Amino acid sequence: MDDAKPAGATHRVDPKLLEILVCPLSKGPLRYDADRQELVSEKAKLAYPIRDGIPIMLVDEARSLDA
Amino acid sequence: MFRTMERDPESRVFGFRAVDPQEKTTLVRHVFDSVASKYDLMNDLMSGGVHRLWKDAFVAEVDPRPGQTIADVAGGTGDIAFRMIRRTGGGARVHMVDLNEQMLRVGRDRAFDRGILEGVDYTVGNAEDLPLADRSVDLYTIAFGLRNVTRIDRALAEARRVLRPGGRFLCLEFGKVRLPALKAAYDAYSFSVLPRLGALVARDAESYRYLAESIRTFPDQPTLARRMEAAGLARARWINLSGGIAAIHTGWRL
Repeated sequence: MDDAKPAGATHRVDPKLLEILVCPLSKGPLRYDADRQELVSEKAKLAYPIRDGIPIMLVDEARSLDA
Repeated sequence: MFRTMERDPESRVFGFRAVDPQEKTTLVRHVFDSVASKYDLMNDLMSGGVHRLWKDAFVAEVDPRPGQTIADVAGGTGDIAFRMIRRTGGGARVHMVDLNEQMLRVGRDRAFDRGILEGVDYTVGNAEDLPLADRSVDLYTIAFGLRNVTRIDRALAEARRVLRPGGRFLCLEFGKVRLPALKAAYDAYSFSVLPRLGALVARDAESYRYLAESIRTFPDQPTLARRMEAAGLARARWINLSGGIAAIHTGWRL
């Protein structure tokens, strides 16, 4: 389900939003992967999907980086 | 005398049904997936438009200022966020966070329709595990959302965490009506009329029955104020609206 789709021009993630977002589990910083449209928490080893410009910051929707 | 209170007793009830906390979160998400597209229309029908006045009163109390950063949690379809943006002339930054992706999409579409393209962003997240940095916002608002949160005490602690010292917490939620005559009429309305309206308009009586029941299982005004204080939201106060059918709760992170 995590096929990397480029964001549409109308629905990019707002840079101001990226400044304030943290991993909901570890509260650690996130790295924005623009190609995969994911927000990566190295600390929690989770990648949160961004769907149509909306970050989905739920652990049960995140991709595990260990797998 | 102090009595130890069980934390988050609501996590085990979905409306009037007993459930486990994990199940509650799933059920609540389902309710809002189901009602998202009709949510605004239903609110108007259910409250005779009064919810708009409550929301106006709420945003007047929030009194957002240009330059402020605001977390609008359970922001749903944007009723509160858009009022705050209008009031600040677009000078504030509103981060809308909602558990339900569908509600946010409806909200974003509505924002586009109204020409609101700046000053607001959309994130799917849980009020109990907010994806926002510590001490990052000046105001935390939650309108008709706390009732649907599985662990209320945990959500209150998260609100405190993301608020800057000196930041304010504001919650608009259904309350407990104290006037006996009003209470009887309100009970009759919400348990017979509400689910029928839901069945008619949204074709989903079950979801609207849940909404009516969840109002009754939500803590009353003094109890919520105590729990806010316990979570570190100081000087907890409330303002009753429409005889206590709804109430605005406020507190500060000092």
